[in-house]
Amino acid sequence: MTSKKLMIAVTLCLALIISALPLVSACASKPAEAPTKGPLKIGISTPTTGPAAEKGSPMGHANLDAIEYVNNELGGVDGHPVEVMWLDNSYDAAKIVTIVNAFMDEGSLMYSTASSKMMASSMEIANRAGFPGLASFSSPILYRPPQHIYGQLPDYGDDWGAFASYYMKNVWKGSGKPKMALHLLNNPTGFGARDAAKASAEKMGIEIISINEHTATTISETESLNRIKAMNPDVLYISSTPAPTALIIKNAYELGMYPGMTIGLGHASFTKALIDIAGADIVEGVHGVFPTVNWGDDVPGMAKMTEYVRKLHPKDEGNMDYITSWAQSLIMVEILRNALKNAGYDVLAKGGPEAWEAIETQGIHKLNYDVGGLHGPAVYTPGDNRLSKSLRIFQIKGGAITPITDWIDAPLIKFEEFDWFGK
Amino acid sequence: MGLPCGTRNFKYDTDMAILRTRTHWALFILLLAFVFTLPLYLPNRWIGVANLIGITLVAATGLNILIGYCGQLSIGHAGFIAVGAYTSAILTNALGGEWFMLALPASGIMAGLVGLIFGIPSVRVKGFYLAITTIAGQFIIIWVINHWGITGGFVGIKVPYATIGDLIFRTQASQFYLIMGIAALSTFFATNLARTRVGRAFVAVRDNDLAAEVMGVNLFSYKLLAFFIGCFFAGIAGSLLAHWIGFMNAEHFTLTESILYVGMIIIGGLGTTIGPIFGVIFIRLLDQGLLFLTPAIEGAIPALPSGFATGIAPMLFGLTIILFLILEPRGIAHRWVLFKAAYRLWPFSY
Repeated sequence: MTSKKLMIAVTLCLALIISALPLVSACASKPAEAPTKGPLKIGISTPTTGPAAEKGSPMGHANLDAIEYVNNELGGVDGHPVEVMWLDNSYDAAKIVTIVNAFMDEGSLMYSTASSKMMASSMEIANRAGFPGLASFSSPILYRPPQHIYGQLPDYGDDWGAFASYYMKNVWKGSGKPKMALHLLNNPTGFGARDAAKASAEKMGIEIISINEHTATTISETESLNRIKAMNPDVLYISSTPAPTALIIKNAYELGMYPGMTIGLGHASFTKALIDIAGADIVEGVHGVFPTVNWGDDVPGMAKMTEYVRKLHPKDEGNMDYITSWAQSLIMVEILRNALKNAGYDVLAKGGPEAWEAIETQGIHKLNYDVGGLHGPAVYTPGDNRLSKSLRIFQIKGGAITPITDWIDAPLIKFEEFDWFGK
Repeated sequence: MGLPCGTRNFKYDTDMAILRTRTHWALFILLLAFVFTLPLYLPNRWIGVANLIGITLVAATGLNILIGYCGQLSIGHAGFIAVGAYTSAILTNALGGEWFMLALPASGIMAGLVGLIFGIPSVRVKGFYLAITTIAGQFIIIWVINHWGITGGFVGIKVPYATIGDLIFRTQASQFYLIMGIAALSTFFATNLARTRVGRAFVAVRDNDLAAEVMGVNLFSYKLLAFFIGCFFAGIAGSLLAHWIGFMNAEHFTLTESILYVGMIIIGGLGTTIGPIFGVIFIRLLDQGLLFLTPAIEGAIPALPSGFATGIAPMLFGLTIILFLILEPRGIAHRWVLFKAAYRLWPFSY
């Protein structure tokens, strides 16, 4: 074949793919059941490809599976099917901006992202237009000061707040202030905890004796831990991902620091992967914070979610991110239900700023929903755009992550009141 | 060269003109009219895409001057865009959005100056070695952004609307005119630069720097000048990006973005003014097409194995670039030249 013929063949193939996209796209975004009333549109964007695909892919599945459940079994929202415009952002900041424009153009009433990064990149466009957004994983910059973006779950700063609160009430038995050292991943996962500690430690009666940073690829933290050991801490708090956290705990174990002090972890690392990497005997007794229930827990929402994951995406069963996004879709449906009841379909059907305002004032601001027990209740509190503020404290016992408390509310920290916030 | 049959030049200024015939002028005016009326018939979403294309075009034009004309390989372009974005963000936060007209050139100059620092090694090293030094630039710049308080660190920084006089660029449509105006000026500048003494010196350095030096081209000056101009454009693009998105953090300026910029100018056609335009439009539109692809495949065929559809979009993206490099290594610009030649000779193109 000559290069000219090959060129023509390739061009034709590309043209066919591009021309078929709208057709396939239409297939993808249609609800599973024929609508009996007009649809309610929402936009969902997940990093289904790109560097965060391992999280984004199951999260996208969960979002859509939950909507399918709502449309198939609950008849949509009072007979109005929920229509989803689902777009892959590839974890790319420039793409998410064009995606949010697309959501607004296509009449979506609100939108969701899976990650704080994608919401941070798109929030200004949404805030400027008054278009409400819901981020499953969040950070204070998204909603401090509160505007049109909401957080589904507590952020990494809230993890620290909940753990510190639990520690002071239940673990610390000494006199005076307990001495806490922080070991933080050098990105927002770590710095969220640092900011919360800076803002609240003094008030909670905790002395922060040392703040240490590590990278995601660290191979030894013996040196930093030796420095910490010399200060004789009562508690070490780590906000990081599983691999570096496991390394730090192993190093602390080798240096004889642990057992002998309390170790608390933020939710980014508190997964089964941590136990697998570090070894169950080494991490025995470590405390951690997590914002959702585990697979198999006895809560009302578990059975239906398990049924759908087994039916539609069996490989995602056991993935904690699936629970988060399933709950995220249910929360959006509840917001639509509130707005529909309080503002009426005519307002919502128009789309645009009036509908977005109705979603916020009549939907989100009236939210009081328990999400089938999959995570803490999603309740709007004026001035606080975190919908769920609840976390549970877990402890590793016999190699299993075991809950030791009921839901604990993380206190609101008004970060914008501190001069150092964001600097 | 490349003129329609029967076209002759009787004056030097006619010979030097970019648009040389009435047909050229008519087509050019039609093109401008088409581009600048796009907001009248495009939905907001696609105006946003056009804005992204415009911003990318400014940056890619700068990179094309650096790599395409002067032959200095840079894989840190996103870092230089970041310098411009943060300069504009910091200045307009401190002084107000109405100082945008000061912040815009300041962003370009600041990025140009930072580019000079990372361009200095170009005097001693070239090719892959120079590429590594510019990658170092990318990492150093991002590290500084993440750890310097004034930039908002890891949290990020909000950026006010760009404002000129009483005109506040709030909507996608108003931003479109600002961005496209600057993109058009950038392309005009690059076209003319290539025809000047400086442009010819750049090409001489690219083709054989030793021979250029023997001919009297000061390698140090011209290589640094290329870095300054290329990074100046990157800074201007960064400023536009910051005011378009309204919020900046370092996550916008990844190494992947830097590599993608190189890909864009290669696909478009290195060392041509029109190449970056084609390359940027092609990549950004392909990006938009692929937004739908994975969700569409997963939605249409839920029984696909987990992760299968996830790989389709990146594979298609990579495959398209590979095919372009194999089938048309001189880029879309070369196809454009062939098309024009065939069109002019039609129906006697043989």
